[in-house]
Amino acid sequence: MQNLIETHNLTKRYGKALSVNTLNMKVPSGAVYGFLGPNGAGKSTTLKMVLGLVKPSAGAITLFGSPMDEKNRIRLLADTGSLIESPSYYGHLSGQENLHIIQTLKGCAKSDVDEVLKIVRLTDAKNKLAGHYSLGMKQRLGLAAALLGFPKLLILDEPTNGLDPAGIQEMRELICSLPAEYGITVVVSSHLLSEIDQMADHVGIIRKGELVYQDTLASLHAHAKEQLALRVSHTSLAADLLRKEGIETTQEEDYLLLPMVEDALAAKLVRHLLEENISLYRMEKRETSLEDIFLTLTGKESSL
Amino acid sequence: MKTLQLEFYKIKRRKVWFSMFAMLAVQLLWGMWSMRSPKDWELASGWMSLLYFLTVLDGLMMPTILSVLASRLADIEHKGNTYKQLRTLRPAGSLYHAKALCGLVIITVLLASQAAFFILLGYYHGYEGNPDPRYYLLSYGLKLACDLCLFLLQLLLSMLFANQMIALVAGLGGSMVALLLMFVSHYSFLPWGGNLNASIVGMEWDEASRISTYYYRCYSPVEIASVLSIFVWIAVFYAAGRVLFTHREE
Repeated sequence: MQNLIETHNLTKRYGKALSVNTLNMKVPSGAVYGFLGPNGAGKSTTLKMVLGLVKPSAGAITLFGSPMDEKNRIRLLADTGSLIESPSYYGHLSGQENLHIIQTLKGCAKSDVDEVLKIVRLTDAKNKLAGHYSLGMKQRLGLAAALLGFPKLLILDEPTNGLDPAGIQEMRELICSLPAEYGITVVVSSHLLSEIDQMADHVGIIRKGELVYQDTLASLHAHAKEQLALRVSHTSLAADLLRKEGIETTQEEDYLLLPMVEDALAAKLVRHLLEENISLYRMEKRETSLEDIFLTLTGKESSL
Repeated sequence: MKTLQLEFYKIKRRKVWFSMFAMLAVQLLWGMWSMRSPKDWELASGWMSLLYFLTVLDGLMMPTILSVLASRLADIEHKGNTYKQLRTLRPAGSLYHAKALCGLVIITVLLASQAAFFILLGYYHGYEGNPDPRYYLLSYGLKLACDLCLFLLQLLLSMLFANQMIALVAGLGGSMVALLLMFVSHYSFLPWGGNLNASIVGMEWDEASRISTYYYRCYSPVEIASVLSIFVWIAVFYAAGRVLFTHREE
């Protein structure tokens, strides 16, 4: 699978502060790539560098297989759409007029304007001044502008910021549908793990400017550790018994935690406990959540 | 050309033309009041005195008028947070160029309208003869250069600072500087003195007879240098604006 975006040791320094540090991002074609990180981790700076809005201090960017420089930047970006931070719009022009400007600059078909308005469900409000739109509508207008010309790559920086729950859900569904329906690869940044979990199939996690994880979301899920948790009448007795069986346990509050075992072994252990007159109150399967993994990767002090 | 057309499309409903013609209307009212009931000696040198009057009028008002124009053109991008989007679609240099060109077109229309109205007013008052097209074209050519110079300076400020009050105050300050320069010298190397430097008509006021005599100026070398400085300022402001626009980071 070809990578639409590749960054090579991408670095951005503002004075002494390192905003992005030797970042190697790889966005495969056809993916919804979730770019995840706490606030201030360097997500927006990275995406702005990819779009040529911020000049890297070091490193290189390859877009659609070609190294990007100032000379070929606009040509390469012709096949991208972007929505960075807050949406861009002219408040004194209608939604349709705003899109007309972008359509003319992108040189795409006029019919695209109506189509993208339909996709983001702004057809009924197309003649209303963009300045009178709600925040959600402005965000959708920004997405419509990014979609004009149906580019190969869409870069969305925190697209659900400021949306109400219904708007967030709508935006997520729309983003998820883009690769299958229009063949668009999407890079979407967020500081919310749950959001990326619902939208992305690939994920990059950035912490203090460094990419601490990059793989498929499925692989991230595979990092989740499974354990068995037992609540018994005599915790220390049970722990001794299990140790004799060769199983190390840890105690967490009233529970004994042991590694996940085969069903047959689990049944055998339960039998032994009962034979020793240890009552079993609870037996649960515990999984390290994605939140736990995220916090481990990004540091517990980071905000979610 | 497409980018230039879009600049005009973007200022739709921004009342840019309205505000420009409102400023022109103020100039016209001022002119009508100043030129009311001309005396015979005024009619004899009417066309020459008109050029002088327009130079003074523009010298005083244009810094403010052009600060409004530049602010209107730049403010839409600040308010709409659009620089970052536009810069992914077009080279930043061409966007800046289109904005400067848009301003130049508006200034040209404004000056042409001003010339047309004041010439009609001259005929209405019965100025002797006809305006000399060579002098009028030369005068308006120089006015265009002076106004472009001020516009580029104002555009630079309006793009640099999102708060447009800074640029507007600079425009008003420019008008004040122009007023001061009128009393100080026939020439200066400041951009706000451009209209006065480039005046092709001079005036002498005889206190005893209370009669003004107008004449076509014969420039000294230093006065020629002051006129040429307008073109240097144009190059400086254009280059500075372009560099600022192309190298800004979002």
